[in-house]
Amino acid sequence: MPAAAVLKVLVVDDQTSVRQMTRMTLEQIGVRHIHEAENGRQAMDTASLQPLDLIISDFNMPEMDGLALLRAVRGHPAARKVPFILLTGRGDRELVVKAAQAGANNYLIKPFTADTLRQKVEQVMGKLS
Amino acid sequence: MSSLDQLKLTFFDECSEALQQIELGLPDLREGTASEDTINAVFRSVHSVKGGAGIFGFEDLVKFAHVFETVLDAIRSGKLVATREIVDTLLQANDVLSDLITMSRSGEAIPPNHGAECHAALERILREEAVDGSSQNDDASAPVDFEGLDFIPVPAEAFDDSSDPFASIEREYNIVFRPKPAMLKNGGDPLQIVRSLRALGTLDLTVETDRLPQLADMEADQPYLGWTGVLRTTAGRDQIDEAFGSALGDCALEITATGAELEASPPIAPAEPEQTLLPSVDPLPSVDPLPSLDPFPSADAAPAAAATPPPRETVAPAAPTSGADNAEAALPRSSSSKFTSAGATTTRVELEKIDRVVNMVGELVIAQAMLGQVVSSLPEDISGRLVQVLEEVIHHTRELKDSVMSMRAQQVNAVFQRMPRLVRELAAKTAKKARLEMSGENTEVDRSIIERLGDPLTHIIRNAIDHGIESPEVRLAAGKSEEGTIRLAAEHRGGRIIIEIGDDGAGINPERVLRKAQDRGLVSADAVLNEDEINNLIFLPGFSTADKISDISGRGVGMDVVRRNIQDLGGRISLKSERGRGMTIQLALPLTLAVMDGMVIRVGQETYVMPMSAIVECLRPPASDVHSLLGTRGMLQLRGNLVPLVHLSELLDVNSTPAASEERVVIIGDAGDGARFGIVVDELCGHQQVVVKSIEESYGSVPGIAGATILGNGRVAFILDVEKLSTLASSQNGPAVARFANAAPPTAATVN
Repeated sequence: MPAAAVLKVLVVDDQTSVRQMTRMTLEQIGVRHIHEAENGRQAMDTASLQPLDLIISDFNMPEMDGLALLRAVRGHPAARKVPFILLTGRGDRELVVKAAQAGANNYLIKPFTADTLRQKVEQVMGKLS
Repeated sequence: MSSLDQLKLTFFDECSEALQQIELGLPDLREGTASEDTINAVFRSVHSVKGGAGIFGFEDLVKFAHVFETVLDAIRSGKLVATREIVDTLLQANDVLSDLITMSRSGEAIPPNHGAECHAALERILREEAVDGSSQNDDASAPVDFEGLDFIPVPAEAFDDSSDPFASIEREYNIVFRPKPAMLKNGGDPLQIVRSLRALGTLDLTVETDRLPQLADMEADQPYLGWTGVLRTTAGRDQIDEAFGSALGDCALEITATGAELEASPPIAPAEPEQTLLPSVDPLPSVDPLPSLDPFPSADAAPAAAATPPPRETVAPAAPTSGADNAEAALPRSSSSKFTSAGATTTRVELEKIDRVVNMVGELVIAQAMLGQVVSSLPEDISGRLVQVLEEVIHHTRELKDSVMSMRAQQVNAVFQRMPRLVRELAAKTAKKARLEMSGENTEVDRSIIERLGDPLTHIIRNAIDHGIESPEVRLAAGKSEEGTIRLAAEHRGGRIIIEIGDDGAGINPERVLRKAQDRGLVSADAVLNEDEINNLIFLPGFSTADKISDISGRGVGMDVVRRNIQDLGGRISLKSERGRGMTIQLALPLTLAVMDGMVIRVGQETYVMPMSAIVECLRPPASDVHSLLGTRGMLQLRGNLVPLVHLSELLDVNSTPAASEERVVIIGDAGDGARFGIVVDELCGHQQVVVKSIEESYGSVPGIAGATILGNGRVAFILDVEKLSTLASSQNGPAVARFANAAPPTAATVN
């Protein structure tokens, strides 16, 4: 049972507002260690430099989108096992299916509440303490 | 402000950037020159607006952005061909989006039908072109869920610390290490460092002996050796730095991660076969473990990006891991002003912080002027070396000032981007056809100027469309193309920024302008003016040539206000008109308002500063060139022209014993509209950079004074407003000067 307070979570989104909103919501469910990146490339930098427990990433980003990031993470020797939740706007079923096939562990639809976030994180990582 | 409000503000800032992207990209789409990147960027921008709006609960925005995005998605995936009509609808959609954002931002209630027409037009496009929108959920507000998808749950054990995959990763670093003399003096021991490094992992070092001198030349306290080599270690950068301890600054040191990650021990989890088979230096398995199954829009980009190796760790001074808590603040933002992705190399800094630096630089400039004064009063045998150093300081201060100013600088695009919409709307309102061509949008200028450039530009463009561009029929009859062109260009020239607004319309009709000016008593009925002078009459207060007041440009705000705005910014406005071919208005603006080049002058016991930008030349005329003329303070014959003289001492009421006429210094100033006049002063004290301090807060607006500054001797000096001085002088001298000065501010005629 992972403790929320020790989880290291990377939030990836090109929009500062969305990133910070996600950060705020994560803080509401007790997560303390939050890294941010604004595109897949930056996220890979972060992911290859330190251990992470969870990546929450937007799909639509310049330079390297969420799916490309997911594939890069799954192919990275150190980060390949890090759970990955794809953030998506409403209505992209095709995309979610693709993400699932590429090894995403769950998805999260924007906008989301703290409860939904907790639920998704727990589906992926087990009950949070 | 709550943090949520703060976030909303951030979101609206992002919206502005997004709108700019869209505004930039759509015209390319219209011309058919848009690259895939452009279309993607436009799509992404609308998508971002939609996503953020959903998070912050702006439902109207979400709904509109959704249908907008769907059309763009159809275009980018090739299901829809972007005809001109469609792009025109998209441009309108961008305007509606911009309205919705503005209203959401200000908290205004959005009228229920706002943009309904455009919304319907977008939907019609989707219907008519039979675009399959099924991949997008049609009702944007309906929640969707995709249950039953096969997501892989992650076992909790995976997060055990013991399975930390980083623990087993060995990295390879190239190390170049050359001690400096200071290292030995400070008690550093290169050998000890090499030992510490060896303790971290496998170290392979080569000694560089090429700098080793002959034994006889060898100094005991000089380090001659250097080392290069490869360290393979599981330790992080910070641990490697630690090995160097306090000697870190006393040596030439390069540590670069080679990017190779070497799996020293098999992972705790059962290793997949391809993992163990892979050559250890390849950071990413080149075998794609995933079945390739994407007819995905960015299908080309995605796998390519995935195949690139992770970026090499560069030698950053701070260990990346320790910056986790600061990550938010220090997170670089990639510049989003263009479609090219130059990488995340920018940082957002609060304006206040930069302003603080600007102020400090200002103080530095003053302190440096003081230092200069002290140095110059020293006897030369002492000051010689000081002067050299001081010169260097001056050089560096100037560079520092320029760099800080460039930080405050913004691209004029911040103002320019609002203009395409203005042109579109005005053209529609006046039933004319007009196209806007912009160039030099990336030209940078201080943001305080940017902020005050919007109104004058808007006004000039309004005029150009309302009065300049003719109706399509008239244009065709005149052998021009149906569509008028407005050109908006910016460039740096001679330390100023030049903005030109041109049109290919009818130009100014001199007879009409002159008649109007005479009707209004702005010029006397018998005045003989050349065409340029007549054209400049439009800058007079209360001048309007429109026969009927249109609701576009005839709002009682004339070109005189535009001129005043530009002059308040320390700039100049001028116009060129060619009848039947159009006209061009040129604005010349300083790059910054905070520091300027000034000429220090003395009158009696008082010292003043005159902006260099307003000075045309300085001279000491022979007495024979100065003619006294009844009703004037003298006229100076300058290369065949008569230039009216004003005496600064009289104008500002300063006690000054008139200098012998041969010693008089005359500064030829520019009254702002091309008219020249001579200002008589007692002495020129030299050219220097001055920091402009506003006095308006304390004294209100004082005619003839633009501000104040602090001089090297610590005294406050006023900065003169040269153009206002000429107005003051003409009102003192009476109409005679106005008549003589070829186009001296004609206000004189009306004031009296």
